[in-house]
Amino acid sequence: MPREIDLFGVLVPGLLVIFFGGLAATALIDGLLGRLGGYRHVWHPALFRLAVLVVVFTTAALLLF
Amino acid sequence: MADATPSAEPRSAPWLRSFAADEARAWLFVAKSLLAVYVGAWLAMLLHLEQPSTTMITVAIVMHPQSGMVLAKSFYRAIGTVAGSLAGLLLISTFPQQREVFLLGLSLWITLCASGAVLYRNFMAYGFVLAGYTAAIVALPVIGNPLAGFESAQMRVSEVLLGILVAGVVSDVVFPERLRAVLRRSAHAQFDRFFAFLRDSLAGSLPQTRMEEVNLEFVRAAVQLEDLRASVIFEDPEVRARSSHLRLLNQRYMAAATTFQSLHHLLNRLQRQGQTEVVSALTALYQPLHEALTLPAARAPNPSGLLAQRLERFQHTLVQSIAAQRQALAQPSGSLEFATGAALLQRLAAELHDYARTDGALRAGVIRAEQERMRFHRSNDWSDIGLTALRTFLTMTVLSVFWIQSGWAFGATTMLLATVFSGLLASAPNPVSAVLKTLYGFAAGMLVAAFVEFRMLPMGDSFPFLVAATLPFLLLGPYLSTRPRFAGFGTGYTISVLLNLGLRQPMLYNPEVYFNSALSQLGGLAAAAAAFMLLPGQVSLSRQLRRLRQLVATAASARLEGLVWQFETRLRDLVQQAVVHTPAGSAQSRILMAWSLAVQESGRTLIELRHDLAAGTLPDEARARTEAAIGAIDRLYRMPDSSHWQQADAAVNAAIAAMPEGPARNHLYQIHSALHDTESPLFGPLPIPVPNSTHAT
Repeated sequence: MPREIDLFGVLVPGLLVIFFGGLAATALIDGLLGRLGGYRHVWHPALFRLAVLVVVFTTAALLLF
Repeated sequence: MADATPSAEPRSAPWLRSFAADEARAWLFVAKSLLAVYVGAWLAMLLHLEQPSTTMITVAIVMHPQSGMVLAKSFYRAIGTVAGSLAGLLLISTFPQQREVFLLGLSLWITLCASGAVLYRNFMAYGFVLAGYTAAIVALPVIGNPLAGFESAQMRVSEVLLGILVAGVVSDVVFPERLRAVLRRSAHAQFDRFFAFLRDSLAGSLPQTRMEEVNLEFVRAAVQLEDLRASVIFEDPEVRARSSHLRLLNQRYMAAATTFQSLHHLLNRLQRQGQTEVVSALTALYQPLHEALTLPAARAPNPSGLLAQRLERFQHTLVQSIAAQRQALAQPSGSLEFATGAALLQRLAAELHDYARTDGALRAGVIRAEQERMRFHRSNDWSDIGLTALRTFLTMTVLSVFWIQSGWAFGATTMLLATVFSGLLASAPNPVSAVLKTLYGFAAGMLVAAFVEFRMLPMGDSFPFLVAATLPFLLLGPYLSTRPRFAGFGTGYTISVLLNLGLRQPMLYNPEVYFNSALSQLGGLAAAAAAFMLLPGQVSLSRQLRRLRQLVATAASARLEGLVWQFETRLRDLVQQAVVHTPAGSAQSRILMAWSLAVQESGRTLIELRHDLAAGTLPDEARARTEAAIGAIDRLYRMPDSSHWQQADAAVNAAIAAMPEGPARNHLYQIHSALHDTESPLFGPLPIPVPNSTHAT
């Protein structure tokens, strides 16, 4: 994966793109868990959400770079 | 305090405990705000952003005691910032050399956004305002050097998004105060209060003023629930999954409230007309409802489920008791009145049952994925939008001309502040006083920031020192913003301190620049206040009443599909808007409530009547007469005077005469009875209404 991505002539860091992808993936997981009632088994849903985002983002970043 | 003497403790404990809990909440908020502000500043410096102060201000603006509010506000702020930066960039690149044209374009863009904000409630409006003024923030400082435009836009977006991220994480993860609890509490309170009121009012009669008060309370509850829902969905994925279920709950609540109100008025009118026999027959019908609604004293885990069961049983027995009472009612003259009342009672029972069932399912935590999509319809006035657009445009243009003519280097700051606050506070109940409070906060913050910047900061140069020097002064702002009376002052103070400190890399110590920019900020706020004074957004009572009555026209002619929801939500939104601008308990507010009740009853009945017509089993003559009656009622509400009243009355009577027995005839009678209500505002102003008094006696 390139370090910077050319977006309409603007160089955007590749990590930023991955971060937005991670946000989208987290939102998807979040919606699914909410719909299935998964959050009832979680002590601190907000912390859990944040942790999911960190896990998704770092995994993607480590795998792609 | 635990060691207090036993005799003193019971007296002092409750208020002391609530005071302590309140203070604890406030200071927790202060701690979270400052934590987020400093973390934001530290990260911004670490990332070598140009102005860490922007990040700090973003955090300060977005922070709110409840995390759902922060997330909702952040979401729209992020969208607004990105859209605004793009617009600013576009403007700079299109008109790099022509300052006049550029300023005109900027004014137009901000005007467009400000008008968009009027169309929406909640934080969506806030997103629009931000899209407007971010363009100004990005473009104005670099107007002398257009090549720096991209850099400026990129920096603003990074700083703001960083602030949003920090504020969101801190408020959601560190001791979050959940808005969801508030939502649940207010949904339950709404349910309990509504049923308690039903119980009390079924037991005895109710004066009209009390009915108006209660109706206002119901309106507030409905709008508040919708507003809360719109914010909680950002905080809690489970609530988001049940969002449409919550809307359904609110709509069933509104439908039941309207039907109850209609039934209540019908009974009152019959009572006043002296039709005691019909009234006692109807009273006998709804007496079991009172018993069904009286729950055993011990609190059940799911009271609404129990209520739903009881209401279902009541519906079954109601059918039989209606037949029995009809037999008992000897005199045929009251049969139409009785049938109308019985049909309304049946509708009420069905709607209460639906409401209780929906509430029971929500309390039991059922997540239903598929649900019909519904909207809470808002009601907007084009004159409001036009006025806001005009005010914003004039403010911007006057300040642009002043800036260009005077050649004052800080004119841009004045423009910026005027734009920001005239947009942000346009929807406040009293914008002038809101701007003035912010102005006082700004003035105080300016002095404090001067002291900190020129006395404290030069003494050290590390980040911990910065925190130590500014912390004592920043405590005050968030604390005051938790107090409703000082909220405007507190917000203004915090923003002013952070803005005037203007942390940047490298730091700049220049008293001349400092006071020039601080004074230009005050000038901007004063300009915003002047704009609100010159072009106030208050709509006159007669205009609000006209908009309210227009809803009857909607009920009479709009497409039938989803019309009940549209009508019910619009009405609530409109009443809520109007109530914000009228002092409570005044004659104006009485008139407003009386009209809203009349519109509520007539509009809903017209819709039901149109549903009967659409079912298509009525004879042609009855159909034609009914359509004429609907048209006449529509005209009456557009222009309430005695000739229209008489036309409407004649048309309704003709339709009743032509109509065979059935629901349509009941609805027609209900309209007839509403027309003849002596307490209705429709009736009040009319000089010669001589309703067929022979019928009444």
